[in-house]
Amino acid sequence: MRGRARPAGRGERGRQNQGGGVALSTQTIQAVVIADYDQTPQVEWVELQDPGPGDVRVRIHAAGICHSDWHAVTGTLPLPMPMVLGHEASGTVTDVGPLVERVRVGDRVVVTWVPACGHCFWCLNGAPELCETANRGAVSGTGADGRTPLRWRGQPLHRFSWSGTLATAAVVPESGVVRIGPDMPWREAALLGCAVQTGVGAAFGAPIVPGDTVAVLGLGGVGLNVVQGARMVGAARIIAVDPVAWKRELARELGATDTVDASVDVLTALLDLTDGRGVDVAFEAVGQVPLMALAFNAVRRGGTAVMVGVPMPNAELSLNAFAFPSQEKTLTGSWLGGSHPARDIPRLEALWRSGQLRLAPLTTHTYALHEVPEALQDLLSGRVARPVVVFPDAEAPATRARTHDPAQAEEE
Amino acid sequence: MTVFKDAEALYDILGGFFSDRVRWTDEAHLIHQVGGPITFIFERPAAQICWVPEAASAEPEEPSSERAPFRLVLGAAGPTPLLTFRQDGDTAHRFWLGLLDLQQALARQQVRAQGPLSRAMKLLPHLDAIYPLYPEYLTSRGHGDLLPPAAGLRR
Repeated sequence: MRGRARPAGRGERGRQNQGGGVALSTQTIQAVVIADYDQTPQVEWVELQDPGPGDVRVRIHAAGICHSDWHAVTGTLPLPMPMVLGHEASGTVTDVGPLVERVRVGDRVVVTWVPACGHCFWCLNGAPELCETANRGAVSGTGADGRTPLRWRGQPLHRFSWSGTLATAAVVPESGVVRIGPDMPWREAALLGCAVQTGVGAAFGAPIVPGDTVAVLGLGGVGLNVVQGARMVGAARIIAVDPVAWKRELARELGATDTVDASVDVLTALLDLTDGRGVDVAFEAVGQVPLMALAFNAVRRGGTAVMVGVPMPNAELSLNAFAFPSQEKTLTGSWLGGSHPARDIPRLEALWRSGQLRLAPLTTHTYALHEVPEALQDLLSGRVARPVVVFPDAEAPATRARTHDPAQAEEE
Repeated sequence: MTVFKDAEALYDILGGFFSDRVRWTDEAHLIHQVGGPITFIFERPAAQICWVPEAASAEPEEPSSERAPFRLVLGAAGPTPLLTFRQDGDTAHRFWLGLLDLQQALARQQVRAQGPLSRAMKLLPHLDAIYPLYPEYLTSRGHGDLLPPAAGLRR
């Protein structure tokens, strides 16, 4: 797949009437578009509106690709089409709309996909990751006003969960970006947008106490970060489960103490590793119903199973009901790691800077924008844990100055 | 690697144990307290064995040595069961070795039971007399390699 020819006669900027009689400036950008379910993503020239009130425009330097992007392609995550994929990225703020207060032009930022409104029931009760407004926009592929800043072939173009970051630029709410320091590499910062918040946050939010034994089922970009989070909160044993051998090895590098090949009887293996008791906390990081049941079945009496992976919206889970009261097991979920991005991304950055959070090992496979279909196939085949699209100007001086892993640097 | 490489192996070993040993124990007559067929459905390998009670003896407390209290149906052709236990072959193997805590196994969905479980529970205390027969049977059939190392035993 290659980028389509730029539309003839169209400049970098144009002016367009958006229906309400307000003429808005637009910018022509390249974006990975899926025209409909099961269609191959294509790089297309699309129109991106200037930021409106409360919005910012970000030039994307690096963007991660998540299994959820693939689920949008297949329709197993049913989102409105056509759509620009991508929901985690890093970039530079190039424009700010009216009323924007926290970021300025030139700021280096992470783009994340739950821009909380700050005043709904969930935001006010400490769960901005469940923000009603953000959720509505994620489902509709638009902003809170029902509009999208993107147009393609004269029609509104939806974006994945407020972001649409597999593009050269994106217009997102101010609350969907968080500033990062000048020394953080773009490609590593991009993963803070989803995979790291989701994985590390799930572990931070789980009832892990120092010395616990934890199992992580599924070692993609999220699962590997659950491993890191569990290590940081003091789990003594971290059992990483995946069918792919190199992912298990990578999990060891990131803190796993034991690994289990998912092609064996995993439940028996986990029981054998815990003297038959079961693990204290288990995480499911794939979104497959059998693995969700396995996570619940693998925890000890009084243990907790945390569902992090995203199954199909109509998936149903069958469990032994007696186990809930008689064994005091807890089954819970974690969405975006329960993260409050404005609070937690700086914390994650600090952990990266201290060497406790390792990101370089997760960004070894990079792609150009036109290689997104190949990246998705590599993701599905298990060849890569987290593909990262890097844009031509991404290796800015700040990045080149520090492309190494701080943890490795200390060892050196 | 699974204990039973295929259905034939499961029928030969586990089916043989039921047929040659379990059926001829005093405890086997307790199946009449269940009141109907018991089907074991296996996964990995896919197989099915049904215990079909023979007509109840007038005096079950005095079992006949000439007639077993139940017969076996191997495969899916058995009668409609009263009780069904679904498990994989390895779990069944561990159960008959006495290494599986059934309550835990049910809670962990290693064993899924359908039907009046309370009737099956009546049999459980009596299985302690049967568990030792399975390793003996395996050894007698030349399958001592299927016995777990003693240090790894747990329920």
